[in-house]
Amino acid sequence: MTDLAQDVAGARPAPVARALRIRRVRFGGAASGVGHAGWGRTIAAAIVSFIYFFPVFWIILTAFKTYEDALAVPAKFFFTPTLENFVQVFNRSFSAGAQAQNTGFTLYFFNSLFISGVSVLLALAIGAMAAFGFSRYPLKGNDTYLFMILTTRMLPAIVVIIPIFIMFRVTGLAGTYAGIIGLYTVFNLPFAIWMMKSFFDELSPDVEDAARIDGSSDVRVFFKICLPQVWAGLAATAVFGLILTWNEFLFALLLSGVETRTVPVAMSQTIGGDIGVRWGLLAAIETLFLVPVIIVTFALQNQLLRGVTFGTIKR
Amino acid sequence: MSTIELRDVTKQFGAFTAVKNVNLAVAAGEVVCLLGPSGCGKTTTLRIIAGLERASGGDVIIAGKRMNALRPDQRDIAMVFQFYALYPALTVRENIMFPLHVERLDAQTAGARVARVARMLQLEAVLDRLPSHISEGEKQRVAVARAVVRDPNCFLFDEPLSRLDVELRQTMRGQIKSVLTGLSKATVIVTHDQLEALTMADRIAIMRDGVIEQIASPHEVFARPATLFVASFIGTPQMNLLPAQFEGAEGTQGRFMVDGQPIRLPVDPAVRKLPKGQVTIGIRPRALVPDAEGGADIIAGRAELIEPMGAETLIHARTPLGGDLRVVVPRALKVKAGDVMSLRADARETHVFDESGKAIRT
Amino acid sequence: MTTITDVPEAVPALRKLIAPRWNNWPGALVVFVIGTALAIALLEPKFSFWVSAALAVLFAATVVANAWGRYTGGLLVAPALALLFVMNIFPLLWSFGLSFFNYRSNRARAPTWVGLENYQKVLTDPDIWDRLHNTIILVLMTVTTQMVVGFLLALLFSKQFPLRRYLLILVLTPMMLSYVAVGAFFRYYYDPTFGLLSQAVRLFTGHPFILMNTVWGSRIGIVFVDAWMWSPFVMLLVLAGLVSVPKYLYEAAAIDRVPKWRQFVSITFPYIRGLLLLALLFRTIEAFKLFDLVFLLTNGGPGTATETIALKVYRVAFENNRTSESTALAYILLFTVIVLTNLYLYFANQRAREVAAP
Repeated sequence: MTDLAQDVAGARPAPVARALRIRRVRFGGAASGVGHAGWGRTIAAAIVSFIYFFPVFWIILTAFKTYEDALAVPAKFFFTPTLENFVQVFNRSFSAGAQAQNTGFTLYFFNSLFISGVSVLLALAIGAMAAFGFSRYPLKGNDTYLFMILTTRMLPAIVVIIPIFIMFRVTGLAGTYAGIIGLYTVFNLPFAIWMMKSFFDELSPDVEDAARIDGSSDVRVFFKICLPQVWAGLAATAVFGLILTWNEFLFALLLSGVETRTVPVAMSQTIGGDIGVRWGLLAAIETLFLVPVIIVTFALQNQLLRGVTFGTIKR
Repeated sequence: MSTIELRDVTKQFGAFTAVKNVNLAVAAGEVVCLLGPSGCGKTTTLRIIAGLERASGGDVIIAGKRMNALRPDQRDIAMVFQFYALYPALTVRENIMFPLHVERLDAQTAGARVARVARMLQLEAVLDRLPSHISEGEKQRVAVARAVVRDPNCFLFDEPLSRLDVELRQTMRGQIKSVLTGLSKATVIVTHDQLEALTMADRIAIMRDGVIEQIASPHEVFARPATLFVASFIGTPQMNLLPAQFEGAEGTQGRFMVDGQPIRLPVDPAVRKLPKGQVTIGIRPRALVPDAEGGADIIAGRAELIEPMGAETLIHARTPLGGDLRVVVPRALKVKAGDVMSLRADARETHVFDESGKAIRT
Repeated sequence: MTTITDVPEAVPALRKLIAPRWNNWPGALVVFVIGTALAIALLEPKFSFWVSAALAVLFAATVVANAWGRYTGGLLVAPALALLFVMNIFPLLWSFGLSFFNYRSNRARAPTWVGLENYQKVLTDPDIWDRLHNTIILVLMTVTTQMVVGFLLALLFSKQFPLRRYLLILVLTPMMLSYVAVGAFFRYYYDPTFGLLSQAVRLFTGHPFILMNTVWGSRIGIVFVDAWMWSPFVMLLVLAGLVSVPKYLYEAAAIDRVPKWRQFVSITFPYIRGLLLLALLFRTIEAFKLFDLVFLLTNGGPGTATETIALKVYRVAFENNRTSESTALAYILLFTVIVLTNLYLYFANQRAREVAAP
């Protein structure tokens, strides 16, 4: 926030800086200017947040209900919770009366984690490298390259889905980890490059020059000096990439095999089946699936904001 | 009448008191500078006058009306911000015209006013440019123009020149002063630069830790500082402050033990009435004159660092017991590092401060 | 004597080749070729791919190390560009070429050239225009809703108030859900018998409420879910803009006695304009691509009322196996998107740099 007080605060002794911060928190009254509102707004925001959160809340609630409770009419808010659904995520019977067997969901969760994680890391590595190149060594066609990169992100999936599908079948990549990870990496690349480039652009070359004069090699400069400063960009890219690939459905549906199936695809398969939709089960899966996303978002919420705006807005 | 009056104004942020019992009266057409180091409360005081902060205690009276409860837009004041606060999406012309919307003038009158102000501040060439395409100095003038185009109760300036380079500052000081002279409105300028205050203000209010230490004309603050802090803050190079023991009066002179040496200095009559005890003697660097003959009543100093300043030379010296001295001598006088100088204090420029820091004079 | 002096000359060259230095790219190339050949010959395609890829990476690394300092920029950028080329550009070109043949993925015979026949078929097919019509209606509805609601949300969250941080996270939760869960559960919520919506309505009117069996009902149903999920995204963008306005501008405006509405128009709006356009662009593109949600919620129903173009492409390609036709259709869609993107970028560049720091 380009707050006047914040700019000046750096020059002031500690108690005043703290006082200025208190000022920003304790603003009150009409004479104080914009920036703060009271409990009235909290109530309004709470109502709105509740509307947004309610369907999610219901899903989580359903995860703890029995099948009958889930479909109860009128809808039940109060019920005896059960953990049966969570157990059934991992062990259940596939048809009425059959033996309960391992569903392989541990594998699916692992797959989702593995695929998302690796593809994001790769995208970060390759993307940061490329962004560094674009930023530090501008080529003649820089703007064109960057524009092209951006447009690849904007392409409708359907346009590429068919040839990719064919390509994967032909090269035997369909159903492999390498294939889907490679694809997701490419999904995350444009965003990673744009994000990281804007961060690298902001770095002042003076520090790097000083390090070079002191004898560090280029590689050391990159790792010890540039990278720590842009870690916020890395975090933002990581969060966004993770959220994107975590819930990805279409490509996963068509391109993952039995052993590399991700949770969204597996979820779509539990919907079918001869017992009808097992709401409790589905809710349990989604609740478990939601946990990593929430953790990551919560931990890196500041970076998320920066990521969403492509780093164009300075904080 | 365009006047500002602050009566016992206090501002607290939680446990921290930023402004303590400030009393200030600015007459119509008078320019008062709030001067002081970072964190002394001067900007907070200004913002209280503007209405951007609410006073915790005391009265804010503008143009004779108590304005404590009024919002900034209800006070009819004009302010120039430290960061100019130019509206980035509007051209210079639109920026200057912005405050006039609420007055509902017809296009011709408004246009004439803007043109007059633009001429006054030499902004005619950039009227149709955006703030991002004009120089720093021009931005500053636009901010002033926006304030001056109105007919407000008073003008408030928050560190107006702090972002300009040295030459620009010189030009702008003169320009702002001439603009304000014609307008007969009470003006308060906040600054941390004493040169700005000394040149632009009719009166200077020096603040420290939320309290006004002295309000007086520039000459007064320089020649007769009321406290130790004011004495050390005003004047470059900084005044020499020597701890001393007052041993009693001797006619028109006082006897002091400075640095282990007995010295007699001509002092103000009020000093002679002081009981014996610890005091501080303030002597401006230009008031220490090297006396080649030596003799009694001299302060000895060994020159350590010589700084040529053009027509004068600044010598950093050290007294035998290790105290710092700053001496300014004419260029003709050659002193080398390591020389011991015998310095005599000029009576007119000697100040005595008691233990609490207050100046002792009639 | 000559034999002794001969050997030392040969050995350094060979030694240079096999020296394990980072910039020994000829050596790495040799390793890559031999390694790949061996891998393909001895291992299954799955494994040989990995081996080959690893060796290729090694080779690339040595090329990078070798030219470090000379072609640094180009080499840093090359892997990313290469990957994008392989995974994006290449398939694009491939499918572009494919659209001129009559390839069908379920028939074994080789495809034959048909020129623009596929495009002709697609452009004259009334079904396609119907789907386009559906898509445009959905896009208009959902983008408008998202932008308006998102903007209002941003206004709501633009000031600091107690509990703001936590309420903000709550609002972001819809974005974090998987489409599968969302699709399934909203189908349940909309269900006339068991659904929460119907039950809520029944409290007031006594009759079950059926939403998804009418054309407009199902459209509203889809739009509601899409807006619910993505209006927080718009909110985030607009919020970033709102928050970036320096506070002292508002203070100056207050002192200048500028009314609130004018403050918004002259001060706030220029800061968020760029982001609003960005949000508009992103959400419009995403809306055109609308597939997951429709597939899971209505599967195009009732009938084909909500079948979007993307869904149609999917059907033609995977259910009807008319691969080439579907690529033609996909390309038309792509063309539309490119036109839109360029329009946006034209406007964005015109005004992008206007708002700079004072």
